[in-house]
Amino acid sequence: MPRPSIATALPALLALLLLSTGCGGDRDAMDSGALEERRAMARAAMEEHFANQPSMTPSLREAFERGEITQEEIDAMAAAGELEPFFVFATPDDIPDGLDWQDGSDLPEFASPDAQKGGTWYTAIQDFPRTLRRVGPDANSAFRPFILDDVVMSFGNRHPEDISIVDGNFRYYPGIAESWAEDRANRTVYVRINPAARWSDGERITADDLLFMFYFFQSPWINDPWYNNFYSRNYVRVVRYDDLTFSVTLPEAKPDMLGRVLNLEPLPAHFFDEFGPDFVDRYQWRFVPTSGAYVVRDQDVRRGRSIALTRNEDWWAKDLPFWRNRFNYDRVHFSVIRDTAKRFESFRAGEIDAFGLNLPDYFYDRLPDDDPLVANGLVAKYTFYNERPRPTYGFWINSSRPLLDNRDIREGLHYASNWERVLREYFRGDYTRMHTTADGYGEFTHPDIRAREFDVDKALEAFARAGFTERDNDGVLVNERGQRLAFTLTTGYENLQDILTIMQREALRAGVNFRIEVLDGTAAWKKVQEKQHDIQFVAFNVSPEMYPRYWETYHSVNAYDRAFLPDGSPNPDRRPKAQTNNLQVIANRELDDLIERYRASERADEMRELAFRMEEILYEDASFIPGFVMPFYRVAAWRWARWPEHFDVRISRDPLQYWLGWIEPGKREQVLAARRSGESFDPIIEVHDRYRPD
Amino acid sequence: MRLNPLTVRKLRRFREIRRGYYSFIILVVLLAISAVSELIINDRALAVRYQGEWSFPTYGPVELGSVYGLEGSAGRTPVDYRELQAHFEAQGGDDRVIMPLIPWGPYYNDAIGGILRAEPPDFQRGHYLGTDTTGRDILARLVYGFRTAMLFALAFTALTYLIGVAIGCAMGYFGGLFDLLFQRIIEIWSNVPFLYMVIIIFSVIPATFSVGARVTILLLIMVLFSWTGLTYYMRTATYKEKARDYAAAAQVLGASTPRIIFRHILPNTVATMVTFVPFTVVGAITAITALDFLGFGLPPPTPSIGEMLKQGTANLTTAPWIVSSAFAALVIILLLVTFIGEAVREAFDPRQFTLYK
Repeated sequence: MPRPSIATALPALLALLLLSTGCGGDRDAMDSGALEERRAMARAAMEEHFANQPSMTPSLREAFERGEITQEEIDAMAAAGELEPFFVFATPDDIPDGLDWQDGSDLPEFASPDAQKGGTWYTAIQDFPRTLRRVGPDANSAFRPFILDDVVMSFGNRHPEDISIVDGNFRYYPGIAESWAEDRANRTVYVRINPAARWSDGERITADDLLFMFYFFQSPWINDPWYNNFYSRNYVRVVRYDDLTFSVTLPEAKPDMLGRVLNLEPLPAHFFDEFGPDFVDRYQWRFVPTSGAYVVRDQDVRRGRSIALTRNEDWWAKDLPFWRNRFNYDRVHFSVIRDTAKRFESFRAGEIDAFGLNLPDYFYDRLPDDDPLVANGLVAKYTFYNERPRPTYGFWINSSRPLLDNRDIREGLHYASNWERVLREYFRGDYTRMHTTADGYGEFTHPDIRAREFDVDKALEAFARAGFTERDNDGVLVNERGQRLAFTLTTGYENLQDILTIMQREALRAGVNFRIEVLDGTAAWKKVQEKQHDIQFVAFNVSPEMYPRYWETYHSVNAYDRAFLPDGSPNPDRRPKAQTNNLQVIANRELDDLIERYRASERADEMRELAFRMEEILYEDASFIPGFVMPFYRVAAWRWARWPEHFDVRISRDPLQYWLGWIEPGKREQVLAARRSGESFDPIIEVHDRYRPD
Repeated sequence: MRLNPLTVRKLRRFREIRRGYYSFIILVVLLAISAVSELIINDRALAVRYQGEWSFPTYGPVELGSVYGLEGSAGRTPVDYRELQAHFEAQGGDDRVIMPLIPWGPYYNDAIGGILRAEPPDFQRGHYLGTDTTGRDILARLVYGFRTAMLFALAFTALTYLIGVAIGCAMGYFGGLFDLLFQRIIEIWSNVPFLYMVIIIFSVIPATFSVGARVTILLLIMVLFSWTGLTYYMRTATYKEKARDYAAAAQVLGASTPRIIFRHILPNTVATMVTFVPFTVVGAITAITALDFLGFGLPPPTPSIGEMLKQGTANLTTAPWIVSSAFAALVIILLLVTFIGEAVREAFDPRQFTLYK
């Protein structure tokens, strides 16, 4: 389960200055004796971790997060044997009888049987990846989906078409797992690994790789606290029964507990046999053997210029149901093209195969339906309506700042933000308004909350309640103490800055002055992580989970170091906590309580109710101004690119996520020749709206 | 004021160089116009007649609609004078609104056909150079951007000359250890990469600073890293003049150091320094345009030529009028200044007046 990333600006990513990252491979310099020593050390460290890692109960962990108990005390408890072990080695006889083993075989396949293998898919990335590691500093990059999220197999995956919830679980199809069984009463999932499963270097995938994964993600050496926290907080025990069988126990039997285990991705223990404190440098440019279809070969890494994926001919899952007919391109070639406009020209020249048309000016003005390329059928335009949790584009108000700590002002800012105009005139009515902090979660999304619409009168009323009644010479509201209603509005989305300039003019009508600050993506993210922002225009990418997360973004432990005094009153000396996702700096006892109950809850209906109550509290709190939702994705592709009948699957976010497309053999040459000779084909302009909301 | 006959000759010579002289006149006229651009290109009315009273809102504080009897939310929000004009016309009374020649401000998002996008020039609607990607009038943005750039460049030139001439002159006049010390400082200082410094310093300036404050800071940073270029010319010129007999004569007559510097040496070095002025101005305009183009200049939505060039290159095929307007404007300004520079250099060329033939 990879760490969620920050949503990137719509058609493409943010331009970052590419700094060449030093290569850490001193591997060749090491003589074989030293290497052996190193491996022995790594092995010993792992075995020690397996023997000693304690399992923390949720209540203990929460106490630790609140600062009520120290690490030393926990260590002492572990030493005294008061805590259960995290890693357990058992025998096959210990597997309980009477488990209901399932394998998802009743589900329909979703790839097209017409797909053909072959060809190279040419595409572009904005930045060359700074590392081939999948975790640690710089790993959470735009290239990560291609070496992790969208390529690597997990034990089982959520079915992307059948999104029904059966017995409290989504439907899963098998990946590395051959079958699985759920023991809800004991909060445990049992998994049998497919005996045929192999890493791309030919080694078997075994339960040891899963155990290693937990060790790896719990280790401080990966330099990635998100993983450290996630893999110690959300799992309490791992049991190895034999080479191919293991079980994982969760702290709570959440409705989606099956998914929490099946979505795990084992790591090749044999590859990380030099794992140690210098992991970040040592593994900087080593490609991790993968369970998936695509590998990165050393000769295809041309730093700063291009990188390519190559299809593994001997991929173990190539004929496996649910995995066959996907991953059809022999090679996927990524050129680095920083500038969006240049990338588009590259696409028009036929140098890259597809281009995202999510922004209206690309869809309507730069590649209109009557453009010769489209009208002559050389380039096809596709609109695909999907159904998935939506990235949270909106204004995140830092409620710990002066003036913004006043709820009336925050509410006024809601009414002063003219998203309606942006949606209507800038997005040309294609996008819709976001209403809650968690849109697109199906039955977990609050059905009745509606975002506050732009309304000057209501805004002025709210500001008047906060004492802002007079306007100064610039038309900005001031209070009796001479404070102006002026806030910095920061964003890292350079290509969405037009939205902010429109909003700025509109907000001035309601007496608010937004000072726009456009930073590069990294600087903007740093600012918001350090809680230095007034108002930030940013979005979290959300993965298609069953229900939204509230702890990361709204719990007070992520707002302040010690938000409350022991008697429950706000701590007067509290300071906003950096490096957390509580961007609104919300600390609300009632909300904390609901979040903790939500976290502990094991029933979907109860969680739903709690989620709705939390949404209502958040609506009242008014520190997040919901922005927009893009209910589809749009893409232009050259005619040689072929797609399944329905183009893509329900929960997909872009065409390379499920890898259902293929290249029609010989068509590339034919289409390019037709372009030179002026020949034309039937135009292809398709809208796939099976999943369009009403 | 009595001018030195030599200076008079130089000025006459400048006037005789037609290209430079006319460029100078055009630039002065453009500057004069842009100084009052609020009266010519603006979305605030020149004059409003309401209930028999005339008011002139151009330079005043923001007015709310209630001032002109508008009701509801229109009365509580700043007046949109074009709408007010339409409203008065619909009422048909004596009330009227007189808008500037080009009734668009540099910030006004005009959604033609209900969509905000770049529109080609539209004379009927008054967008003589078209609009940018969010429906803002390009001519308005050019004019206001030109004004900022010119003010910036002139202030920059004045400040760099002040520092450069002072230090250069002191180095040349006092010589010795002072000269040696400053030479080394300048050598080190001029090796600091200027663009990186601007980027670094600008990234730590809080956004709470107003646009004016940010421009001033940008100006100061640029001056800080640009004065060094002039010192060497000034130093040489001072050395040369100081060695002349008249300087020695003044010293013998008992003139004080400031008197020698300000009365004798400075006036004689002016000829050299003046010829660099227009090129400094060109450099400053280019620098601020480049910084805006790279996104390190003035914060959005401040109008600027660099920002427009950037937008134009991103929309080269769909909205060529953006880049062509910005490009043409930049070329014209730089050409005018360069022509002036050439003429000044020629007019002030000492070889024309020297006695040694």
